[in-house]
Amino acid sequence: MAELTRSTQPKPLQWLADFGRSIGRFLRLMSRNKTGFLGFLMFVGFLLLALVGPLLIPEETSADITAIYETPSRAHILGTDSQGKDIWSQIVHGGRDIIQMALLTGALSTFVGITLGALSAVIGGRFDATLTTAADVWLTIPRFPLLAVLATLIKLDNLMTLALLLAFLSWAGLYRSIRAQVFSLKERDYVEAAVALDLGLGHIIFQEILPNMMSYIAISFTFGMTSAIYAQVGLVFLGLVPLSRNWGVMINLAWTQGAIFFKDSIYFIMAPVAAIALFQLSVVWMSRSLEEIFNPRLRTG
Amino acid sequence: MQTMNSTSQQNQTPPLSIRNLWVEYSVERGLVKAVRGINLDLRPEESLALIGESGCGKTTLALSLIRLLVKAATITQGTITYRRDGQELDILSLNSRELRRFRWRECAMVFQSALNAFNPVLRIRDQIYDTARAHGVTSREETHQRALELLEHVQLDPKRVINAYPHELSGGMRQRVLLAMSLLLDPQVLILDEPTTALDILTQRTIIDLLRRLKAELGFSMMFISHDLATAAELADRVATMYAGNIVELGSVADIFYHPTHPYTLGLIRAVPTVTGDFEELASIPGSPPDLIDPPSGCKFHPRCTYATERCRVEEPKLEPVLGIGHTVACFHHDLVEQDTESLAKNHSHTTRKNTL
Amino acid sequence: MPSNPVEVYINELIMLYSLTYSEAKDQASALFAFDVDQPLIQQYTEYMGQLLRGNLGTSLRSPGTPVLDIIKTFLPWTIFSVGVGLLLSFTLGVFLGMIMAYKRDAWWEAILSGLASMLSSIPSYIIGIVLLVFLGVYWELIPIHLMRGSHSPGVQIGFTVEFIKDIFYHASLPIATYVLATIGTWILSMKSSTMSTLGEDYVTVARARGLPESRITTAYVGRNAMLPLVTQLLISIGFIVGGSILIESIFVYQGIGFRLLESLNTRDYPLMQGIFLIITISVVVANLLADFVYGWFDPRVRVAGGD
Repeated sequence: MAELTRSTQPKPLQWLADFGRSIGRFLRLMSRNKTGFLGFLMFVGFLLLALVGPLLIPEETSADITAIYETPSRAHILGTDSQGKDIWSQIVHGGRDIIQMALLTGALSTFVGITLGALSAVIGGRFDATLTTAADVWLTIPRFPLLAVLATLIKLDNLMTLALLLAFLSWAGLYRSIRAQVFSLKERDYVEAAVALDLGLGHIIFQEILPNMMSYIAISFTFGMTSAIYAQVGLVFLGLVPLSRNWGVMINLAWTQGAIFFKDSIYFIMAPVAAIALFQLSVVWMSRSLEEIFNPRLRTG
Repeated sequence: MQTMNSTSQQNQTPPLSIRNLWVEYSVERGLVKAVRGINLDLRPEESLALIGESGCGKTTLALSLIRLLVKAATITQGTITYRRDGQELDILSLNSRELRRFRWRECAMVFQSALNAFNPVLRIRDQIYDTARAHGVTSREETHQRALELLEHVQLDPKRVINAYPHELSGGMRQRVLLAMSLLLDPQVLILDEPTTALDILTQRTIIDLLRRLKAELGFSMMFISHDLATAAELADRVATMYAGNIVELGSVADIFYHPTHPYTLGLIRAVPTVTGDFEELASIPGSPPDLIDPPSGCKFHPRCTYATERCRVEEPKLEPVLGIGHTVACFHHDLVEQDTESLAKNHSHTTRKNTL
Repeated sequence: MPSNPVEVYINELIMLYSLTYSEAKDQASALFAFDVDQPLIQQYTEYMGQLLRGNLGTSLRSPGTPVLDIIKTFLPWTIFSVGVGLLLSFTLGVFLGMIMAYKRDAWWEAILSGLASMLSSIPSYIIGIVLLVFLGVYWELIPIHLMRGSHSPGVQIGFTVEFIKDIFYHASLPIATYVLATIGTWILSMKSSTMSTLGEDYVTVARARGLPESRITTAYVGRNAMLPLVTQLLISIGFIVGGSILIESIFVYQGIGFRLLESLNTRDYPLMQGIFLIITISVVVANLLADFVYGWFDPRVRVAGGD
């Protein structure tokens, strides 16, 4: 038996080196597209803000009526709200809900869309036909009003419930595009070869088709995220969902308390608005980089 | 095969003259010298074939004639002169309005494969009318009549085709419609880029016969590009072989096919199998087409040439006349090629090239 | 918030009039004439039956007012604002997109593309809020208080110039929001579609035929580049109408979205269902129209013989 050569480095450090190297490679790939990289940095920034921020910045619970609607100063980076509470800390703490939900819904809806879409395209026949008709019907129903109506019928105070509901409602769009993509890949030679070799449905889907669709999947994920943000903030803004402490709630409060109509309180309304807009942008821009990574044909040079 | 018609043709002025034409494309890696100093005359009522491999510059040459090159291409040197009724036009100095008037009316270019040559949302009659109107013919009636005539000429059902949308016609039908439309304004020069390549063999036959007939009836000059020697043999009066952006041999169709004097021409002919031919005589040309950004020194064909000598590596040969009327070749060793051709001809028992059709 | 309309009303009474719970409850029961204890399924089947007869029921909170009437009052405003917004956005977007495709090397093209991409990523209601806050409040450019509502009181309803000017005045901010929110997508789609159309064979052949550039741009490039966008347009109607609930609330524009929100807050179920149904039906109709209109534009999909 041949002797295996061992590396001279002790194992844990070796693992760390490999990890570091793959991170480096990932960053290099990401940085190819300028907007994409910017989006990626912003996205990571937001993640840090939401996850690490609350640990560093104390949450303000006491109202200070003497300090209503103050303009930004050393003490309050973004000023104060209608109750004298610091806006910056509210932003830091208010991001977590939104970001968590975006990631969760994005992942869920992508998963549902991929599974159904791929299965439908591969299995075909009546299964495919019924599912497609169902998707077509489903797509004509305007999603946001439906969400709004459902919000009054179901108690949506839990993040998970909202995420599930959203993912459930958005299956049709992703299903359609994944299905179309799988169809076009199905005709390719390597898939036909796999079928001829009788390699099993699971293998065909997960090892032949899906890896070639990674760019689509990445795009679907980012799209799922953006529609989740849109839906969640929208619902909260209209006051239909009793979640506490997030950017949408801040906008809602600003609106109901008339902060929109005063010049001084502009920070109260614009801070969460800017946060949401920037977060959306970061997701959209990041998707460009992802697209380029997964679709080698788009890479320039 | 057409026999060359007498001196009367040679006395008339050629409708199209190209002198020292150089065309370059600018790409990431550098400058592609696609056309390198071409001199050519298209004679009245003649049919001239441009033969060569892909990338030899023949399409670029054709596009330069109507100045339809992409933005990345520039005509760096040379002149293209067009003549009609004693008047001369310097094509390269025309402004955009004059150029528009020149295109199609004086010189029509029919592209390879008419599959996507028509606007999908307009009917054929509207596209024909567009063409007529662009050149000052405003009478719809007149255009309609002429269009019907031409469609019959190309053996299509005029009433049905003229009202159809492009997608309702087959590929072969579209090719014929494009041909008919090219003759709408009675141009003096017709340029065809691979007229038969994308078609099945039966349609090829029809198109070739059609072109022959139309040329005889309407009397235009025709320049067509092909890599199919059989088509060239059928349709051409003269043949020019192109390699690496230059013409390496020019002569009557009989001379080119029976007495080729350039190694490349000989190689092309020997590479085409005949239906009844023996495979032992088949020989492909070794090597691959040259890099036109950084072409080889001297004669551009020398890396692939069995007759190449030191001189070929250093000096680029110019077109020199050889035996045969108007037969010129750019090779230092054309006499060797001639000898080999004669001995090959003696070893054959069959002589035809045409029997593929 | 409780999900029972009666409870909602009771809460309101308590807050507004400082009644005790039992007092409020008595008042409420007198007002609401239906039996809330009936099983849901039965209520629903009854509703469906009524629906087939064209009867959408009566509003709970405005007793005696048929839902259909309420819808008829508010729906036209939404159709108006969304319609004008989409039309404007599409026309401008397509026009700009095509210019940008032709002028790919201009310095301003990249900037505009970036702007378009940014605009299309930001949610529509955010744009609405920004417009409201900056134009209306911070820079005081627009008298937003006067612009509430769909038309000014005191102006006679009818086809007079004064009325038409007035309704445009009130709808201008919602329309502006719709335009800004959607124009980015049109610009980018049209730009990419035009770029690929410019590379098509028939455009080169058209130039070889000596056609004037103006004809090529309109009938050869323009018409073909627009085709894929037409379907996009009609599909986007559903999305815009869905967003109207938010936009109309921000600008206090009394369209169907605005009314829907109100009905949601008061748990006015018949009205809620009615409005939702109407919204869905309009979207379905719009999508059907999409297929029809597309066939008109693209002869390749027309059924043989039909025209």
